[in-house]
Amino acid sequence: MTEFSINISQMAWPCVLALAWLLGDILNRVLHLPRISVYALTGFVLVNLFPDYLSPLDNHSLVLLANIAFGLMLFEFAYRINLRWLSLNPWVAVTGLLEAGATFAAVYCVALWYGSTQLMSLSLAALAMSSSPAAVLRVINEQRSSGQVSERILHLTAINSVLAVFAFKLILVYGVMQAPGDLLKASAQSLQVMLVACASVLAGTVFGIVLPTILRWRGRQAQDSTLGFAFAVIVLVALTHATGLSPILATLSFGLVARHRRISLGRTQRNFGVLGELLAVVLFVFAASTLAFSQVLAGVMLGGLLLVMRLGSKIIVTTLLAPVSGISMRKGMLSGLGLAPVSVFLILNLEQPNKLGMAMTNEWYALVAMTLILEIAGPILTHLALFAAKETPEEMEQ
Amino acid sequence: MPLGEFMHSDALSMGVELELQLVNLSDFDLTAASPDLLHLLAKRPFPGNVTPEITQSMIEICTDVQTRYTGVLGQLTEIRDTLVRAADILNIGICGGGTHPFQKWTDRKIFSKPRFAEVSALYGYLAKQFTIFGQHVHIGCTSGDDAMFLLHALNRYVPHFIALSASSPYVQGGDTLFNSARLNSVYAFPLSGRAPFLLSWDEFANSYFSKMEKTGVVKSMKDFYWDIRPKPEYGTIELRVCDTPLNVERAAALAAYLQVLCSYLLERREAAPEEDDYLVYNYNRFQACRFGFDGVTVHPKTYESSILREDILATLNRLKPHAETLDAQAALTHLSEVARTGNDAQYLRQQYQESGSPEGMVHSAIHMFRDRRRRTRWVAM
Repeated sequence: MTEFSINISQMAWPCVLALAWLLGDILNRVLHLPRISVYALTGFVLVNLFPDYLSPLDNHSLVLLANIAFGLMLFEFAYRINLRWLSLNPWVAVTGLLEAGATFAAVYCVALWYGSTQLMSLSLAALAMSSSPAAVLRVINEQRSSGQVSERILHLTAINSVLAVFAFKLILVYGVMQAPGDLLKASAQSLQVMLVACASVLAGTVFGIVLPTILRWRGRQAQDSTLGFAFAVIVLVALTHATGLSPILATLSFGLVARHRRISLGRTQRNFGVLGELLAVVLFVFAASTLAFSQVLAGVMLGGLLLVMRLGSKIIVTTLLAPVSGISMRKGMLSGLGLAPVSVFLILNLEQPNKLGMAMTNEWYALVAMTLILEIAGPILTHLALFAAKETPEEMEQ
Repeated sequence: MPLGEFMHSDALSMGVELELQLVNLSDFDLTAASPDLLHLLAKRPFPGNVTPEITQSMIEICTDVQTRYTGVLGQLTEIRDTLVRAADILNIGICGGGTHPFQKWTDRKIFSKPRFAEVSALYGYLAKQFTIFGQHVHIGCTSGDDAMFLLHALNRYVPHFIALSASSPYVQGGDTLFNSARLNSVYAFPLSGRAPFLLSWDEFANSYFSKMEKTGVVKSMKDFYWDIRPKPEYGTIELRVCDTPLNVERAAALAAYLQVLCSYLLERREAAPEEDDYLVYNYNRFQACRFGFDGVTVHPKTYESSILREDILATLNRLKPHAETLDAQAALTHLSEVARTGNDAQYLRQQYQESGSPEGMVHSAIHMFRDRRRRTRWVAM
């Protein structure tokens, strides 16, 4: 006689993902909340309620799926970045540099004032500079928005993220150098970081040149481009995992090169169609599920303070520089507000926090708290910014 | 409100209006950028005029009143350069072309303006489907009667302008097999097509227009979407059948052709226009839209058939003395070359073949608008 039994832990994650999608859909219709905010909230609440069944870090399939989802979003994000614009309108680049710099300075000062060490304060400041490419792209695509606020949110997010990664890496090296007698180790680590970064960029560049060539050679790029690019991103993510390269740098380079050196021109379907929709649920549920309730609670005070400083500095700079960069101050202010989403998922993929001795400290808790708040509230603020700028479709504005 | 007096303009003065596409440089779809662009352009002097159009993915530019081809070309070039500079600041593309090859009309947003809200409320989805892009040319007339005469005398030449300007071969992602598919969209409007055959301004204004106004169907001349319509407040007739060409040089040449043609017609050497001319009007118009220069045109007086290309070349040749008087020889030479080598619709189809996608067509159209002398390069903008 065959014995019938159910392994609840094997069922748990698919059910959570399905529930997150369903709740996202319902709350989007009823309250117009961005779906990704609901995904994040669902992931955070359920994983913290049932930690025995839903341990995300043990689930390798989930990690791989989340990485593929992240890769697809980073590729699409980079594909929409026009580097030439930054030279044609240098005020956009200046705005990005200044608002990231202002955020860094504001958060650094507040963290020092709160009693953090210099190294911790620098690290928090670097992480706070970043905006989340995945979240802003997702909200812009979900709202089908178009206009200057949408364009500037995308490009400022790109500048912020690059600066944040660059600054964080420098601080890592600086941290290692501070330790007595570790100059050689620091130099070796810097060299390794440089080599990995270069190799990752090279891998993405090769994909960005080869894939359009193949699509053009096949003569059906208009029909096949979405699927072709999706498969290429999946292969690239797998390749970087297998070789220890950075999937983030590789997929970003792939997207940038595909846009700027494209031989064929094909309309890549936004969000990669149904595949992208599905993987977005996985990504945002997973990202929030890595955050623990106790950590959030412990860091909520400092986290809230840092959040206000971060958003305030971004909004002030984008508002003041708006007229010289060709838009109204109102749209400048809304561009700053739209940069609210932050995600340490990107940073966590680059470096484990305990390399800096950050884990289990007040500052780390603050970062966790700030991340959770902005995982949920960030997309809502971006949504509000796009809506207030009248860049969403007519039916939504009515 | 009765139709106002027909204002007197200098004979054969001209003005050009161009409706232009605003394009997202990431996916080459239309983008709702006109509020941002108009905000930016309002901050500095503009050589001519720029106004919003019915959807936020369009703008309309127009020249001042000009008397010569070089004046029109010069101002259109200045306008083009100003627009390109502003578009660069905002990371958008601007281009001509009668239709966008793959935009979905459902994605369009109506520009916030009372007139557009009224049109949208009346015509429903047709208003968004009106996301098509045309060139309008005004020719100054010294009297309303001259305007009505020219309006009808031009009927046989309307296919010339359709074929020479045709640049809308693709609609909603598919090849329509037309050279100008844009005019099919205009046909959906109830007050489109040809104007009623009246040669007296007095009769037009006080009889026809007054009756139409009493029906409640129209309130002003703007409610007529005719191929050619009188514009009493400017003292002009307005030719509306042209697609927006891919570059301003072509637009200026078309305006000059109309000016020279009107100069020729006003000599009244041709047989006077009559109602029966319109027996072949819709057929000729269809042939030009569908087949371009290869279309067949039937002469309204003799009923002789000829290939449109030959008819255009013969007409351009016949107009040479008038072109010399009006300093428009270069314009007519340009159009002769177009008739021999192919119009913008053919160029766009060729771009589709070379790039393999409709996005490639938009990409080349943007480069063509920036400056046709620049080589089209497959780099991001």
